[in-house]
Amino acid sequence: MKSFTKIEKYIGSLKFAIILISLFTIAMIIGTFFESYYGTDFANRTVYKTVPFMLIQFMMGISILYAAYLRLPPKKRLYGFYTIHAGLILIIGGSVVTYIAGIDGNITLPPLSPKREIKLNEDIFKVTNLDTKEVTTYDLPNTAFEKVLNAKNGDLTLENYLPYSDKTLKWVQPSNKIEKHNSSQYFLSNDNVSEKFILSLHPEAFEFKSNLKLGPLNIHYLPTAIAPCFGKKSESKIILWDSVHKNCFTPEEQKLKIQTTETGKRFLVLKSNQTLYSFFPELSPFPLDKDLNVMKDSPFRIFSKKVFEKDPNLFLFGEKVAYFSEDRWVVEEFDGRTPLPLPWMGFEIILTQHEESKIPAYVPVYNMPIQKNNKLIAGTNKAIKVNALRKKYWIRDDQSITLRVRGEKLKLELEKKSLRLPYEVSLTRFKMDTDPGTNSPASYESFIQLFTKEGPSDHHLFMNNPLKYEGLTFYQASYFDTGQGQYGSVLSVNYDPGRPIKYLGSLLLTLGSFWHFYLRRKKTSKKEINSKAIKVTA
Amino acid sequence: MKYKIPSFIFLLLALSFKSNAFDFCNNRGIEKHTVLQNGRLKPLKVHATETLKYLTGKSKFNGINAVTTYCRLSFSNFYPPKETLIFPLIEHVTIKEKLEILPTDKFTFEELEENRSTLMLLKKDAVEGGSLDKAINKILNYIRIYRDITSGNNWTVPATSYGSIEDMEPISNLFNVTPKDSYARASDILNSELNARQIKFNQNFPNKAEFEFFYTNLKLPLLSMLLTLLAIAFLVARKTITVGLIFTALTVTAQTLLLIFRVYISERAPVTNMYETVLFSGYAGLLMAVVIGHFKKEKMFLLIGLGYNLLSIFMLNFSGGMLSASIGPLVPVLRDNFWLSTHVTSIIASYGALALSWVMANIVLVKSRFSTIDNKEINHYSDIMYSCLKYGVSLLAGGIILGGVWADYSWGRFWGWDPKETWSLIVLCIYMIILHGRYTNWITNKRFVPFTAVAFLSVMMAWFGVNYILASGLHSYGFSEGGAIFLGIFFSAQLILLAVTTPKLLKA
Repeated sequence: MKSFTKIEKYIGSLKFAIILISLFTIAMIIGTFFESYYGTDFANRTVYKTVPFMLIQFMMGISILYAAYLRLPPKKRLYGFYTIHAGLILIIGGSVVTYIAGIDGNITLPPLSPKREIKLNEDIFKVTNLDTKEVTTYDLPNTAFEKVLNAKNGDLTLENYLPYSDKTLKWVQPSNKIEKHNSSQYFLSNDNVSEKFILSLHPEAFEFKSNLKLGPLNIHYLPTAIAPCFGKKSESKIILWDSVHKNCFTPEEQKLKIQTTETGKRFLVLKSNQTLYSFFPELSPFPLDKDLNVMKDSPFRIFSKKVFEKDPNLFLFGEKVAYFSEDRWVVEEFDGRTPLPLPWMGFEIILTQHEESKIPAYVPVYNMPIQKNNKLIAGTNKAIKVNALRKKYWIRDDQSITLRVRGEKLKLELEKKSLRLPYEVSLTRFKMDTDPGTNSPASYESFIQLFTKEGPSDHHLFMNNPLKYEGLTFYQASYFDTGQGQYGSVLSVNYDPGRPIKYLGSLLLTLGSFWHFYLRRKKTSKKEINSKAIKVTA
Repeated sequence: MKYKIPSFIFLLLALSFKSNAFDFCNNRGIEKHTVLQNGRLKPLKVHATETLKYLTGKSKFNGINAVTTYCRLSFSNFYPPKETLIFPLIEHVTIKEKLEILPTDKFTFEELEENRSTLMLLKKDAVEGGSLDKAINKILNYIRIYRDITSGNNWTVPATSYGSIEDMEPISNLFNVTPKDSYARASDILNSELNARQIKFNQNFPNKAEFEFFYTNLKLPLLSMLLTLLAIAFLVARKTITVGLIFTALTVTAQTLLLIFRVYISERAPVTNMYETVLFSGYAGLLMAVVIGHFKKEKMFLLIGLGYNLLSIFMLNFSGGMLSASIGPLVPVLRDNFWLSTHVTSIIASYGALALSWVMANIVLVKSRFSTIDNKEINHYSDIMYSCLKYGVSLLAGGIILGGVWADYSWGRFWGWDPKETWSLIVLCIYMIILHGRYTNWITNKRFVPFTAVAFLSVMMAWFGVNYILASGLHSYGFSEGGAIFLGIFFSAQLILLAVTTPKLLKA
């Protein structure tokens, strides 16, 4: 019992208070520097929203409580002191209420499209069964570093969670090996510009395309086997591609006759396995059947080189290149890393990587975030690795994926927790005034319509003038350009049940410090209080 | 007298060359002319001085004032001057090296423009947001502004429509109607045209530019500094306390006028940029010192109040580009005079009060090292510091709470761990540690002195450091450059002083 009183006395003592305030201060200083270098979110995850930091605040609350308790029964000269400490306890209590029961999120409103989803700050992993429309979510931990979760979610296992990551290019084994679906990386440059790009024909390399437009130059990536036909002498300048046997031929080789329609369009007919394929090479790569329907599943495709002679078109086939220059088609082969000159504006191309079995993929890798000019320039993506029946997939917050697991179509997403409003919010107009004679904004204003059960109602929000509706408060937070000369608006949405408690605490704190410092001075001199205060703590 | 005779002869000579000797640019009448720049109307004198100061770091050019120089630059494409008028202010060492500027070189804006590609190349390798990057951006901005001025587009004059204050046109439009061959005749035409337009403009719109011109000419910051110096001098000399008090009253009056005029011109509380916060904290510190000193009948308060006011007003006058006196537009969220005048003023006033304790602490430190001081004196000064801390801490706590309420009201959260608000809480906590520590045997009156001196570094961090070093977050208005060096010097000077003085004080 004696030791208990001793502990109580220590907790309520000034020295313990000093230690706690010092710890609190040091943590905050670290937090502000983290914020400056690594961004707000990182500072929250490492300092402000962590258990130890909250524990310090909790202990401060306890210490304040005991400090007041130990100085009971009330003494008149300590009224200011009691009021300050009561105020502090209320502020801490109010903050706890806000933390537990409050809502703090935002709603993004493109012009004239009603929304009712509020995005909160917590990250979740969301699985939507697209067949049954069933949604399950998993709350992701508030960590600043890579964390292995090993959490089961049906057939899925959540493995590594990266709160900050950047996409890194990796060449990986595809899960389905498909023959002759190459991927290559090239480096195109002249004296002024340079561009590195990857092209792929593999269906699993979904982040990479097989064609690319760089300024006026069109780049096409085609199977290697088609390259020889680009060099073949052919009157018709037509190439036919047999996608089953992966080979190409010209109409002249097969003695196919090229005919012309009444309107002057060229066409030719190919007969294979009793099927007739009619091609219009200048119009479509796909043939028509005898009923003139487009045969998208045809094994044969047609390609008219004539179409590609006018504009700069570069054809790449992995290790080979074809282009039209000075009235003839040129096919060349890369020699290691030696640059191949191209006929346009002094451009050269280098094949930096060519893979027949591996595919390119952007794999997220953990990266410490870096903040510059209020923007993250590293560690910008969140990512999670999911194991679905031994196959591994990366899901990023900017890219969801859809899978089939045991016959069920699942959509996997990494996103912010959201909340549905019982009514719709729509932005009728966003207005930005500027200062006279300048482009600098003077005000941001949103004209909002709420569609509630009682019918629609109009509201006008601007800086320092929020909208309060059924306990929620909407604030003008940000805006964005929709790209069509219109602006969308971002409102922050907030519900704070701790507010009145915090306000009362603030009031008490202010009054108390006034009382403590200025009113009591009249009755006792400071030295007396000093000696008394020391006696209390001793 | 010696100088007057030749100038008189010169005047006679000038008059004998008919009336066309009138020089439009060298004519005080244009100083009052209204321009629309940076979102508000202002007199040409203010705009010309601020712009040329930004470009060159100077306000006089070969003895010629900023307005005349600005005017001649605006005319230079149409009526070229005989010589290069201004030279850019380039401070970054790497840029100087790359552009091969020698210390003796007179590097012109034209040469700067020719080297634009060199700068762009340099920018490519610079770290985004780093000091070199910022310096290059500044120089690219120089080039833009210089071109704007010399093409006659920077100087806006009232157009003849008078529909709104935005109906302004560049002065270059007027050159279409002036004779190309004679600057003197053009001077006459421009002068009568612009004067007529200005009169019409003033009739159509309430215009504070003329008042601002008057305010600028008063040079109140300089006057206040002089008065403060005199007040200190007379107070320190023991026999002239009354004179000292009179000068103190004059200082307060001058600074009150300075603040009132700024409030009248900008139509908002005078605490919206670094210049104004420094001004206001010095003023608030002085005012508090006067009031407390009066009630406590203690001259020391007055001295530390004047001392701090002198430091802050010295900064206003001589800090160069770090504190800009320019009155510019505010970011939308700050456009609320109620909260500006409560939250920000109480925070800045608290910095003033805490600064008083800091000045006192340093006086004790210096006195203990280089003179003698006994325990009685230390206790006495500690009481003075304690009084200042009391006011500072309660104003700060009140200000933080008001800030929380404002944030809650306009952003929807009471507290968001934004660097500026976190640092103000850090300051409060540090002073709380000291105040609580005074009740224990950890912080005796002797230790209280160095603790108070070092604690003020947290104020400097919250006030300047967040803007100049951390520079991020919601409070990112009013961020200006060049302050990191100032802060570094301030911190090291204070720490060296502490290292030199503290051991002796604690032993005494």
